[in-house]
Amino acid sequence: MKHSQLEDLLGAYALDAVDDEERVEIEAHLAICPRCRAEVQAHREAASLLAFGGTNAPEGVWTRIAASLEEPPPDLRLIAARDDRRNPARYWRRLALTVGAAAAVLVAVLGVQVASQDRRLEELQTALQDPLVPAFQAALENPDSEVIEMTSADGAVRLRGAVTDDGVGYLRASALPALEDGRVYQLWGGAGDRLISLGVLGPDPRIVTFRAHDYSLFAITNEEAPGVVVTANPPVVAGTTA
Amino acid sequence: MSPDLTNASDSALVVAIGRWRQDALAEAYRRHGGAVLALASRVLGNRSQAEEILQEIFLRLWDKPDRFDPERGSLRSFLLADCHGRAVDAVRSDSSRRAREDRQNAERAEASYDLEREVWDAVVADRVKEALDGLPAAERDAITLAYFGGNTYREVAAMLGEPEGTVKTRIRSGLRRLRADLSEAGVGEPS
Repeated sequence: MKHSQLEDLLGAYALDAVDDEERVEIEAHLAICPRCRAEVQAHREAASLLAFGGTNAPEGVWTRIAASLEEPPPDLRLIAARDDRRNPARYWRRLALTVGAAAAVLVAVLGVQVASQDRRLEELQTALQDPLVPAFQAALENPDSEVIEMTSADGAVRLRGAVTDDGVGYLRASALPALEDGRVYQLWGGAGDRLISLGVLGPDPRIVTFRAHDYSLFAITNEEAPGVVVTANPPVVAGTTA
Repeated sequence: MSPDLTNASDSALVVAIGRWRQDALAEAYRRHGGAVLALASRVLGNRSQAEEILQEIFLRLWDKPDRFDPERGSLRSFLLADCHGRAVDAVRSDSSRRAREDRQNAERAEASYDLEREVWDAVVADRVKEALDGLPAAERDAITLAYFGGNTYREVAAMLGEPEGTVKTRIRSGLRRLRADLSEAGVGEPS
């Protein structure tokens, strides 16, 4: 989509009123366009002013929330996030898997090998027409980026990507077989023993972009459109940052 | 409840939530839970489903407080956007196609939106009602059917019998006008 076509959709997007394919494309664009991000945020603030704060939050629901809150695990390792180094005035406690532990889990479950950062880049012939290619290549070539390699259990499908220093993830997903109608690929980040959705990729993704947060473990599943909150499916591909 | 939390800014609350303070989550719930529940109820039309969404939104805030960036916007708009997304997903996946078409037919009949509907269980601030009334009817209808109806802009276009491009434009310009009208009137978010 041209930038002007994307802009036309920003109001509808802010109200969750676009199709899934449009949403994926808009979110990919928002990852790299601060002006559009600011417009979406302004629309969301306007929409929030339509909300009415007159009701009291019900006590019964709070009781259920409080019962579900987990205590911090005693053996939790606190790892300083990239954001903290950039902006020390902000302090967030973060959870992060150590790469070694994550890799060990995946080797045990999937027989996946963790990528080496010394791997040479592949040719991106047909990808030259994709507007995300320059950003993807820049991310891969930047020495501050972390390379991602995701493979299927049998090693037949291999995807390559990178997470930049400011937490933007890029993944070339064109090796995934196109899905039939009614199915979509969905990307997940690993947090503890749970997978958190990083976005729906559509049935035939090429280069995708996403917020990688602190995840070092990623998986892609095949889901019924328009995607799910929690997956019950094994990963089609999975991998970690090196 | 510690006195420092009731006077804390929303940003300070989220920092405290990041430090595992359950009382900070409780205070955020007290401030914003009503608005989250009211929005979910309006989109879903079903109180118990709305309460599930309310629970999910605050558990998500507990699990990943770092998704909220105070420089990007208010905590209220963050929670409402999270709630709205979840509610719309639930509406779109729950409904069979027939049930969704029935609902859209009913909403088409009510396209001139009536703010006095009994299904709302909250009081709308007069200034917000005035702002909505101050929008051109076409913009108000497009925004209402999209935001509160959980419809895509294509579905809204079909319901209103308008071109899709027109609906997209009306939503975008309506939101801009709403924000301008409401900031003029001094309606803003408590920090």
